[in-house]
Amino acid sequence: MPENKDQDQKSQIREKLKKELEKEIYEELTFGVEITPEMEEKIKGTVSKKVSEELKKRMKEELKRISERKKREEIERKKEKEVFYPRISLNQRVQHIILMISVIILIVTGLPIKFHESAWAKIFFPALGGIGTVRLLHRIGAVGLIGIALYHLLYLAFSKEGRETFRELLPRPKDLKDVWMMVNFLLGRKNEKPKMGKFTYIEKFDYWAVYWGMVIMVGSGLILWFVNYALKIFPKFVADIATEAHSDEALLATLAIIIWHLYNAHLNPDKFPMNKSWLSGKISEEEMKKEHYLEWEKIQKEQRKPSPSEGEEKI
Amino acid sequence: MDKIIKSLICFCRIFLLLFVLSIWGGNNFCQAQLENQDCIKCHSKPDFKKVLPSGESKSLYVDFSLFYRSVHKKELCVYCHNDVKKIPHPFPLSKVDCRRCHYKGNLAGAPDLDIYAEYVQSVHGMDFAFGDPKAPSCQDCHGSHNIFPPSDTLSRINKVNVPETCGKCHITIYNVYNLSIHGKGLQQRIRDVPVCNDCHEEHNIRKHTDPKSPVFLAKVSSICARCHGNMAIMKKYGIPTEPVETYKESFHGVAAKFGAKTVADCNSCHGSHDIFPQKDPRSSINLKNIPTTCGKCHPGASENFAKGKIHINPAKPEAGIIYYVSRFFKYLTLSVMLALIIYIILDLRKKFKTRKT
Repeated sequence: MPENKDQDQKSQIREKLKKELEKEIYEELTFGVEITPEMEEKIKGTVSKKVSEELKKRMKEELKRISERKKREEIERKKEKEVFYPRISLNQRVQHIILMISVIILIVTGLPIKFHESAWAKIFFPALGGIGTVRLLHRIGAVGLIGIALYHLLYLAFSKEGRETFRELLPRPKDLKDVWMMVNFLLGRKNEKPKMGKFTYIEKFDYWAVYWGMVIMVGSGLILWFVNYALKIFPKFVADIATEAHSDEALLATLAIIIWHLYNAHLNPDKFPMNKSWLSGKISEEEMKKEHYLEWEKIQKEQRKPSPSEGEEKI
Repeated sequence: MDKIIKSLICFCRIFLLLFVLSIWGGNNFCQAQLENQDCIKCHSKPDFKKVLPSGESKSLYVDFSLFYRSVHKKELCVYCHNDVKKIPHPFPLSKVDCRRCHYKGNLAGAPDLDIYAEYVQSVHGMDFAFGDPKAPSCQDCHGSHNIFPPSDTLSRINKVNVPETCGKCHITIYNVYNLSIHGKGLQQRIRDVPVCNDCHEEHNIRKHTDPKSPVFLAKVSSICARCHGNMAIMKKYGIPTEPVETYKESFHGVAAKFGAKTVADCNSCHGSHDIFPQKDPRSSINLKNIPTTCGKCHPGASENFAKGKIHINPAKPEAGIIYYVSRFFKYLTLSVMLALIIYIILDLRKKFKTRKT
């Protein structure tokens, strides 16, 4: 029984420590002193008194050390045993990084124009060389964003991986049911979390929100960039709408990123400090079972299915 | 005794000689200061003039009745015209340098200012220093024998007279200004209208491309805003003050603020001396003229530029469709962010509750 084993271990450790302590204290007391047999008795008495005082403390320290070592070993073992599943391919990760860098450049160069009255705008513009430089950087970010958007559309159309991932990202009625279930769970009205597939409603929302944002920002942005051409075709109020939409949607997109996306990727206590899959491309089995259970299930089923060649051999 | 009388007589002769010499010398070399009376004798004659070698005649008439009412009424002519030693005096006299009295720290009773320091850095001062005969100096604006305090309507630099004074040289601009709404207002003696020095200042006049110029690109909107952003003034004429703010919020305003060199300011669209009400066909912002006005910077500007409001405040229904666009985004942003933040709060709340157990 584990309890007996524990007790046995403990008494073993206690004995060991006791012997060590006795030796230590004896040597401490008798260092450089000639011991006569009469003194021997007295010394033994002092030693055992001191040992019983120290023993408790030493026991605590030793047990603590042992339990910490055990924990570390457990983690190591878990790590070696841990299974990872691929989640985001290299192509997708590179696309995301390019998107991220472009959007950061656009936000950093764009917001000071919207909030030009603020104190940091007054520092920002002279620091970067005036509105001419800022405008150039903003357009560089824009080229990056438009480029990656076009690439993404081609990727969706012409690569198998793209088409399959896109299918997984399509919104379905189940997503609404999942939201409802999850909100009930978070409010404590139900005890059960929804089981979700490869992309939860959060990830789908983040993906499609970018479409919304892109159409507005790129559309209005191009009108503003090439305003002289635009005004050859459209009446001026179209450019005015573009100005307003560009400014307002920029704020919405920025808030969605720095509050919503930041929470889901970094500040969520389950992921803190960072969900690593955008760099590693992998997800651990544990995480997968927790958040994308249906996907995990699907993979287990596929792994258990005998391959066609095996079946033939059996015959 | 003899010797004493002899030396006395010698002394008297020498003394007499010196006396005569000094009177003769004094008569020929030392002048008594010329009184104004001496000048008035000739210069108060209305037809007193000098015919120049070119055939032109230059009037030498001085209106002394005006002079004796002016700020210099207590001065002698020769204080300023200090190269006049005797009458008749040579022609032409050198140009009077007002710095004789007009400098900071002067004891002559002139204003204790150093206007000249500003003037030398101005366009007028620099041209004058280079020897341009057309460059104005003090007398060209302030007058010479008719200098009055600016509050006096006789003063050449009184508000109502300023355009005429500057118009002596800047003829075309003066004519245009007189037709403009500000010029017309001045003719009706509306005191709120700007005259030349309200925008250009007086002694600090520089090219508008000079950052120190009062009418440098980035500064123009502040100058117009002094009146057009001032509710108390604009109320009297029924002119809205919002265009000032909306310009500052617009792309043009923001770009001008942060160093753009070729962006529109108030006068790019409204004109500077040729400002007319929009309904006036001469106005640069008349709808028919908008393509030309905007076309100064936007190549190929067409009537499309006139199809849409200007000086838009998106928060007001007057902005038309822009108002609806801005309201749409405002409510969209609020509701989306509210929903997402509530979800985050619920998520965190649940996680902390579960951690405790």
